[in-house]
Amino acid sequence: MSAVLGTAAVALGLASALLGVATLAIGLRRKDPRLLRGGQRYVWLVLAGAVLATGAMQIALLSHDFSLRYVALNGSRSTPLLYTVTGMWSALEGSILLWGLVLAGYLAIMARRFKDRAGDPLVAWATLAALAVAAFFFALMAGPANPFRVVDGPVPLDGPGPNPLLQNHPLVAFHPPMLYLGYVGFTLPFAFALAALATGRLGEGWLMETRRWTLFAWGFLTAGIVLGAWWSYEVLGWGGYWAWDPVENASLLPWLTATAYLHSVMVQERRGMLRVWNLSLLVATFSLTILGTFLTRSGVLESVHSFSESPIGPSILGFFGLVVAVSIGLIAWRGDRLRSPGAIDSPVSREGAFLANNVAFAGFAFVVLLGTVFPLLAEALSGARLSVGAPYFNRMTAPLGLTLLFLMAIAPVLPWRKASGNVLHGRLAPSAWIATGLVVACVAAGIRGLGTLLAFGMGGFAAATALRQLALSVRAARRSGAPAWRAVTGRTNGGMVVHLGVVVVAVAFAASSTFAESRQFRLAPGQSASLSGHTVTYLGVEEIVEPNRTVARARVRVDGGKVYAPGLSRFPFATQAIGTPSVKTGLREDVYLTLVAVPEDGADTAVIGVRIQPLVVWLWIGGTIMALGTALAAWPGGRRRRGDGERAGPQPVAAEPAPPVGVPT
Amino acid sequence: MRPRHLSGAGTTAPVVPTPRRSRRARSWALLAVILGAALFVGARGDGSPPTDEQRASRIAAQIRCPTCRSQSAADSDAPAAQFVREEVLRRVRAGESDGQIYGYFVGRYGEQIRLNPSGGGVGALVWALPVVAVGAAVTGLSVAYRRRRPGRRPATAGDRALVEEALRRE
Repeated sequence: MSAVLGTAAVALGLASALLGVATLAIGLRRKDPRLLRGGQRYVWLVLAGAVLATGAMQIALLSHDFSLRYVALNGSRSTPLLYTVTGMWSALEGSILLWGLVLAGYLAIMARRFKDRAGDPLVAWATLAALAVAAFFFALMAGPANPFRVVDGPVPLDGPGPNPLLQNHPLVAFHPPMLYLGYVGFTLPFAFALAALATGRLGEGWLMETRRWTLFAWGFLTAGIVLGAWWSYEVLGWGGYWAWDPVENASLLPWLTATAYLHSVMVQERRGMLRVWNLSLLVATFSLTILGTFLTRSGVLESVHSFSESPIGPSILGFFGLVVAVSIGLIAWRGDRLRSPGAIDSPVSREGAFLANNVAFAGFAFVVLLGTVFPLLAEALSGARLSVGAPYFNRMTAPLGLTLLFLMAIAPVLPWRKASGNVLHGRLAPSAWIATGLVVACVAAGIRGLGTLLAFGMGGFAAATALRQLALSVRAARRSGAPAWRAVTGRTNGGMVVHLGVVVVAVAFAASSTFAESRQFRLAPGQSASLSGHTVTYLGVEEIVEPNRTVARARVRVDGGKVYAPGLSRFPFATQAIGTPSVKTGLREDVYLTLVAVPEDGADTAVIGVRIQPLVVWLWIGGTIMALGTALAAWPGGRRRRGDGERAGPQPVAAEPAPPVGVPT
Repeated sequence: MRPRHLSGAGTTAPVVPTPRRSRRARSWALLAVILGAALFVGARGDGSPPTDEQRASRIAAQIRCPTCRSQSAADSDAPAAQFVREEVLRRVRAGESDGQIYGYFVGRYGEQIRLNPSGGGVGALVWALPVVAVGAAVTGLSVAYRRRRPGRRPATAGDRALVEEALRRE
């Protein structure tokens, strides 16, 4: 039953997306607003298809309908309800279905928001592009990644359940959907960028539409990445929160280019510059989500997170190529209209700093992309088999990260166009002295290591700047009689809150990756061991049998206080045991316990892994501040007028095509 | 008058008298000296050579756990990683150099055991390309900036019309 319903729903989604594309294309060709409005309505059918397909999949999972191949491979009667529901995104086909559902949701929001402007060619082109992307994902579901394939041969009575790592913690219900809300969210800015190129309306109007979409998607992606790091650290027991693994890198790449875009878009709004660059960043962000899916889902790269290998590689790679080719072609075609009407007056200016920021972010993305695909490249070029791992990424990204922290410290106080020495001195000297004082204090406290000290100093500098800007905003709000909460909302102030979160994350990252100590101890019950001033006492081990797994839990007393219970779970269909760490979290440092080996063969000693890592909790605090800042930045500020979507504030005159007045070309 | 004076944020500061400027320069120089001294002390380390365990864990962090995907031998709890850690520590205690220890593991498992590709052969590209790319971007931008710099050109009639138009609207 589910198979029939699901297949029909996928067919509905695919057909409506294709019909929508066709209707819009004809409407655009004939300049017929009625057809454009009609084309937009197909979005609702696409949404219906995605919702029905998701419903069919959930019915199949919940009713243990093992006649579906996907359920037979990823469901089981003993899996708890939550993990049966999340089973939908525990393997490739279901993940594509989730992708399709999120995309259809975004499409529907877009259609609703632009209902009154359906006849506008810009909106029509954007809808067309987004529908084309949806058609691709529905085509994947109809073909190589069909979630509704039925099993060959007899229907099994039970299945193995989801991958053990994906039924170990409730976070599986939040992290993947959050990540997908981020990835898929970049489709709409990309669609608007293509629409701007196709219509030739390359002024700043389309930016207004896409800026917030990008901000939302960016916020979800940020939250998704931080949740993933937390999950990897607290639950999966991989020891760290970030391993520069291909899947992690694949999520970081679009984040980097989107961050670059969120900054450089301000230069375009303000000065009309960087038009090609901004379009390229949007295209790059979207393409990198697709490339990331290819790298991590096709099995070409080894990753700790790739929960599936599949035959969709060629299709995704082909789609990636198509996206890149179409985008580059359009940008080249419109090249003459993309010439900026402005020029940079001085490198020491806000726009100069944003430019430097973009070079650093693009360089960062380049390092991450190169390091991720380099093993493939090296093997293809010379047959050499190499690994590129955390030491490489840490060394290469550290200077870029420090540069970004430095820019974060100076850019917010730089005026547009040109800065005088007087202004710079007045705005930067206090923060710079705070940073210097911080470095001196750190050295006095015995902290050593150039990179770490620079990170702390730059972090202090950037934080002081962000706090200064927020304090100024609070003062201005008080003076004008606006409510105090207004002082932290809006893009600029929310941005400063995000900066504070980034500083907290950066400092925590630098400290925790430099000063970690770890050791494994073989202990008999009652025996203690100590590391970096912490004492752990092993008390014994207990075994708990649950329906879907068997858990061995060691009881370990930390510093004579609370007892922690790191565990090892065994799942019936998996060969390797899954560790679950137990963490004593502190504001200063974490004591991270793992059960490495349970007592066996009559012996009563267990191997306990102990890791002391400073400031880790600040990663999650910083991530939360970043998410909060994003919400504040997206908060409708006083500058926005309701309804028309145009900005009310002063804005550069940028007619289309922009006449380059007084600017040499 | 050039249109740049219309933008509110970029108001040019009044000409600063020389004494203030030199006081400013002195305060930044003082800051640079203090910061430089602190960083110099901080970068030197605490003087004592690393213990065998510290050296071994630094080396193990650069070696891939043979049975894992993309985890280092220092991070993994797998038995093979345990073996690598013990072997590294044994060799460190035996007085082998970092290069000798990496050489042993490369000989045993192949070049891919190193998470930090060595500087020779194709592996050099992964280090050089980003440096070249960022360097080229910075050079390209500064050349473009020099070339496009408007300089002190007299305002054209078009500029004046634009300014008047903007002033009328305000």
